[in-house]
Amino acid sequence: MVTGEMINVIDGLKGLFSFWSPQKPTLPFSVLFKKFRSILERNNRILELMSDMGDKLGGDYVFDRQYVLDISEKIGDLVFKLISDLCVMTQNENVDLFIAFERIQHEIQEELAGRRAFPMTRPTVLLDELNGDLNEEVGNKFANLGDIRNTLGLPTMDGFVITTRAFFDFMEANGLLSHVENSLAALDAKDEAAFEAMCDDVRGRILKGTIPRHVISSMNGMLDILESRARGKPLRFAVRSSAWGEDSEFSFAGQYESVLNVPRKGIAEAYRRVLAGAYAPEAWRYRLHRGYRESEMAMAVGCQVMVEAEVSGAMYTYAPLPLEQEAMVISAAWGLGPAVVEGLAESDTFVLDRLPPHRLLSEELGRKASKMVMEPDGGTAWDEVPQRLRDEPCLSSEYIQRLAQAAIMIERYYRRPQDVEWAFDSKGNLYILQSRPLNVRPNQPERHRLYIDQATLSAHVLFSGKGTVVQGGVASGKVYVARTDDDLRDFPYGAILVARYTSPKYSRVMRKARGILTDVGSATGHMATLAREYRVPTVVDTGVATKVLKTGDEVTLDALRNVVYEGTVKELSQFEITQEEVFEESYEYRMLRRVLKKVNPLNLVDPHSEYFKAARCQTFHDITRFVHEKAVERLIDLSENYQRYHDRTPKRLESSIPLGLVIIDIDKGTSVPAQARSVTVEQIESTPMKALLQGLSESGMWETNPVAVDLGSLMSSFTRTFSSSLAGPEQVGRNLAVISNNYMNLHLRLGYHFNILDAYIGDELNDNYIYFRFLGGVSNLQRRSRRARFIAEVMECFDFRVEVHGDLIVGRLKKMSKEWMVAKMKVIGGLIGYTRQLDVSMISDEQVALHLAEFIKRIQVLTEVRDDVPMCELRSKDADSNP
Amino acid sequence: MMSPCANCAQKTQILILDDEPIVCKRLRPAFQKAGYEVETFNDSASAMARIEEKQFDIVITDLKMKGVDGMHFLERIKEIAPNTGVIVITGFATSESAKESFRKGAFDFVAKPFKLNEIIDTVRRLEENRRR
Repeated sequence: MVTGEMINVIDGLKGLFSFWSPQKPTLPFSVLFKKFRSILERNNRILELMSDMGDKLGGDYVFDRQYVLDISEKIGDLVFKLISDLCVMTQNENVDLFIAFERIQHEIQEELAGRRAFPMTRPTVLLDELNGDLNEEVGNKFANLGDIRNTLGLPTMDGFVITTRAFFDFMEANGLLSHVENSLAALDAKDEAAFEAMCDDVRGRILKGTIPRHVISSMNGMLDILESRARGKPLRFAVRSSAWGEDSEFSFAGQYESVLNVPRKGIAEAYRRVLAGAYAPEAWRYRLHRGYRESEMAMAVGCQVMVEAEVSGAMYTYAPLPLEQEAMVISAAWGLGPAVVEGLAESDTFVLDRLPPHRLLSEELGRKASKMVMEPDGGTAWDEVPQRLRDEPCLSSEYIQRLAQAAIMIERYYRRPQDVEWAFDSKGNLYILQSRPLNVRPNQPERHRLYIDQATLSAHVLFSGKGTVVQGGVASGKVYVARTDDDLRDFPYGAILVARYTSPKYSRVMRKARGILTDVGSATGHMATLAREYRVPTVVDTGVATKVLKTGDEVTLDALRNVVYEGTVKELSQFEITQEEVFEESYEYRMLRRVLKKVNPLNLVDPHSEYFKAARCQTFHDITRFVHEKAVERLIDLSENYQRYHDRTPKRLESSIPLGLVIIDIDKGTSVPAQARSVTVEQIESTPMKALLQGLSESGMWETNPVAVDLGSLMSSFTRTFSSSLAGPEQVGRNLAVISNNYMNLHLRLGYHFNILDAYIGDELNDNYIYFRFLGGVSNLQRRSRRARFIAEVMECFDFRVEVHGDLIVGRLKKMSKEWMVAKMKVIGGLIGYTRQLDVSMISDEQVALHLAEFIKRIQVLTEVRDDVPMCELRSKDADSNP
Repeated sequence: MMSPCANCAQKTQILILDDEPIVCKRLRPAFQKAGYEVETFNDSASAMARIEEKQFDIVITDLKMKGVDGMHFLERIKEIAPNTGVIVITGFATSESAKESFRKGAFDFVAKPFKLNEIIDTVRRLEENRRR
């Protein structure tokens, strides 16, 4: 029901957006249409470059800095030209778009120049915002903890970091930067006593230094947040160092100071103590010996809520035993951590198998007479352990298991053996306090390498070189083949997931799975992004995984060389974990990843949303999407409202299927006279259009009777109708095709599905392409995503390169013979017909596979190019598992 | 277990030269894992010195570098050890530079970025070729 008042509102809104109201064109239609096609081409090219960049992150490729520079330049250039094309089409200056472009371009340039585009200028930052990329702002220790908390989702205590920015402000405000520099310059390197005197002097100045007011107030702001989260419970903090370089290549283990159990009022004092700790003689000497320059010294300081630890300690994911023994070791004691970490008290030692289920190999129980506890007024003290607990193991087998799983997860992420500090509180909650790389180097590298050769030569290869590597790495474990309807609740820890398709639902197992293999799928989808995020070794599109592998098989996946071996080849995992650089930690990888963040994410998803505007573009993908949408709007507007101007008589298509289609024939697309106002299906001469219409009608997939809709879908359909009518009522239900003999550009809105097809099919194989774009529709998110999966799977089955971004699916196909292109176009015709009423039946994930099988069966009659080669065959075992 | 030395003698010796450290860092473990003996260099001067001392079975070199460029390096190897197989890798692939490399005796020309398996396969083909 539309009231008069509502109409006024709509008119008002239209007025607001009047800058988009079309200008009367001053250029011939053919020129504008050429611009439109150029936008499509560039759009296509940009998406290709984006997935090219994404592929490089998989670990399969060797690329260098030059590659990142070149591709960034190419993509920036294309986006700029894309906007320029739009300006010509719409005769509009698009200032907002250019501003968005310049902003993104500048951020990318800064990344490439090695200047961080988002310098953490704040003096403090919450732990919730941290990740490994922020190591310069918060130091390595807390950047790692950010990964552990925010990426891996492991439990850590709440807290914040006083950044390196604050350190420099503090040092500067107290004149200490130049003082340190001058003292060092004046120092006689051999004079030990003078060195120690210099250390004392600097530390003394820091302890008496004034913390700048903005740092203090920022710290107070953070403390207020933490207190309000703790609902008024008085908090005690662990104040810990997190310097540049600490916990990275060089551990600096135990070199820097931590202050435990600090009440709020003591934070400033503890902060100064931790800073001063950086200039203790041992720490300073360590830096000098390792070749650190003074300008590379910066100390961030973390303030974390204390764990009321019942038991705590350290864990090495590789025990200091010969590597072949594949063992990890836990040291644990009652009370707070320093007892174990600093070796201050007797502790228990547990040695476990590295492989799941992490069997206990041996234990050695210490006589734990005393434990470190928190003093009520701050600080720590020693307390007696009750008699009955002294000789008891301080970890149960359940605790050991949980700890082992968490530690292995961290190790897998960093692909380095880890030294993990942890604690359990009295309620049995596990907290990760910190994790640093453990330097495990095989004693005889030569021998170590030799047995790799032997191991891989003697191991039985199940398959190799199949599919696309999404995330490199090595994984050994038992196969778990997921069925289509599997909810994966029982996915076993440490298994390797084998599945027919990639699917976002596998995000559920990312934390448990050692590796992932799929038969079908793309390296740019949602699952692939997550696998990279969690660094789970993953290969997609192998074609054979579910055929070759059965649940329970023991295999080793080497996702770097893309080989699957039978059994556990532990030498491979050992090699992986001891090699000199982890790809994901390399500068070039991080640079590409940071650039990609400014390019790839799509924020402007819904064209009907109020946020769908130029000023909201945050990435090149956003700009590309926005320009495309506006270009389509403009083309439709031009064709509909300026018919006389484009000097072609628009022709209504007369067909049994009500498409509401108006055709503009630019060159020999129909056999009717130029002035004719209508055209029949038989009179269409355009190769792509003819194939499409055949696919639509002859497949029998057009079902005109609307399927019964449940109430939920109806409501969501209503909301979407309303918003789309606001966006432009004149566009709903009017469809347009611009065609020539070999070409078709089609905009087809059917119900709430919006299809765009751009295709050229001629005799020259190299010119041929189909570009298909499918956008959202009625019903809830889950059903829409099932529909998206269905479409993507059909198209992949028919060799399209497919990308799915939420509701939007883009499929591309190139360079096939005319015969094949026509057959594929018929499939698209069938698909458009089939999907029209599909959402309502997408009531479960199972439906995706059912519909897929059904569709393939029905389309087959139309696509038999040669009788001996089926164009798309479901290789799946899904067919067997379906009832 | 086989004695280490019996085995090392059979290993194919590869030298890799690229002034972008990341390339060497990625290639070294990949080739080691595939059973090769690898030395890597980031500057052409040291690589140049090394080939004067030791004969390698295979050399993988970048083209565009500071100091001695890859083309000269290729020429010099072919002078000292004509039997050494050379694979040229470059981010600035043009048909001219490809032709020139082949003319100077390169076995293959691989454009960066490339897949690890691609370069390993190229080395395998080169080995096949040398055995014939």
